[in-house]
Amino acid sequence: MLVSLRAHCWNSPDWMRVPGAGKGLFDLVDTKRHPGVPDRAAEDAALSALLVQCGQGDRAAFRRLYDLESKRLYGLALRITRQPALAADAVHDALLQAWQGAARFDPARGSVAAWLTGLVRYRAIDVMRKRAREVTGVDLPDEADETPGALDRLLAGAAGRALHRCLDGLEQRQRQVIVMAFVEGLSHADLAVRLESPLGTVKSWIRRGLQALKVCLDS
Amino acid sequence: MSDLPDDPDLLAAEYVLGTFDPATARQVAARAEADPALRQAIMAWEERLHPLSAIADEAVPPDALWRRLGASIGAGPPIDSGAWFAPASVAVRAWRSLAVWRGATAAGLALAAGLAAFILLRPPPPLPVAALLPSGSGAPAYMAQMQPDGTLRVIALRAVAVADDKDLELWALPKGASAPIPLGVLPARGRGVVSQNVPANGTRLLISLEQKGGSPTGRPQGPVLFAGTLHDVD
Repeated sequence: MLVSLRAHCWNSPDWMRVPGAGKGLFDLVDTKRHPGVPDRAAEDAALSALLVQCGQGDRAAFRRLYDLESKRLYGLALRITRQPALAADAVHDALLQAWQGAARFDPARGSVAAWLTGLVRYRAIDVMRKRAREVTGVDLPDEADETPGALDRLLAGAAGRALHRCLDGLEQRQRQVIVMAFVEGLSHADLAVRLESPLGTVKSWIRRGLQALKVCLDS
Repeated sequence: MSDLPDDPDLLAAEYVLGTFDPATARQVAARAEADPALRQAIMAWEERLHPLSAIADEAVPPDALWRRLGASIGAGPPIDSGAWFAPASVAVRAWRSLAVWRGATAAGLALAAGLAAFILLRPPPPLPVAALLPSGSGAPAYMAQMQPDGTLRVIALRAVAVADDKDLELWALPKGASAPIPLGVLPARGRGVVSQNVPANGTRLLISLEQKGGSPTGRPQGPVLFAGTLHDVD
């Protein structure tokens, strides 16, 4: 029963707990991300535990979730919207949505971080598309995401390393459109303008790139 | 939809990548609502591509963001401020409204968006509901429903007249308990949210007539006018 769980926050049933859960749970989590340190699994477990607590109306857990994830999510939203006010709107809406949906969160279905990433990106992209984004291709750093240094940030976790390896195996244009679309929230049309390439060509790069990525990641 | 990939997995991949225009994204989201396999594919792609988010530099959000979020969640689920006391079919409307409450909080923002994330959510658990009937006979006067956040929401289905020097007080009598727990005086307009924990299934809810401000003793002093029991529905 939701009600009784809420009353005994730290006495959650065993299935809700992660190893080491309790007062020291968050000691497991390094809030700074150090490339090369594979702390993602502990981080995911902690985020799951926090979201479960949020589902029981625990506002302190929501604050912890915010402390752990807001910088990453805000940075992501800022990269897409390029406007602090819009980025804040996107993160606000996404986290509110997470709070409101937390009671129905199922830890077995996926990682919280990936879900939050989706929530924030979709909100940010929506906002930008509705504003009929001005694509000038002039004041935006072109192809910045493609630098080896940027992609090297993927190496911090096992999933990121696999993605890095598979991105590495793509043709340069395929890799570029996928990374640019994800990180900057660009549409097919945006990409066509930025890369000065026909729309159909851009779509084809994306589709072939995504198909090749899947084959590589699933193998 | 002519330009959409036929392969559902590619559809999911492009959806997650976010390259579709808003109308197309909405179409895919609507399709995914009804298609568990597509939802599953979207979830898998969110996991696959999520590590790319590390490329964007982290940035400290403005302090105002947390204050705003705190205010948003502090208020609890939004309370409908519309008119509830229509003379006809009030019970039907109330039931519909209860149904809306269940889905509204999680679905509201998602529906507003072209791109929606929904895959980590499972169907809402049944939320116990009680209809409070007059102790003699008659139609239900109040509805109460547990909320996902553990609060209890109470609405009047019809206007209940109370003398100026009296108040109606709500009580919970958990299964097997001998004494009721005071939950507070009902607001004048007959609806409100009880924020304290209420034992859920099988708990009996009582409304008694008390002196202004409620019973001073913590036990009902006046007659119990309405009563009902919280049950799971669905």
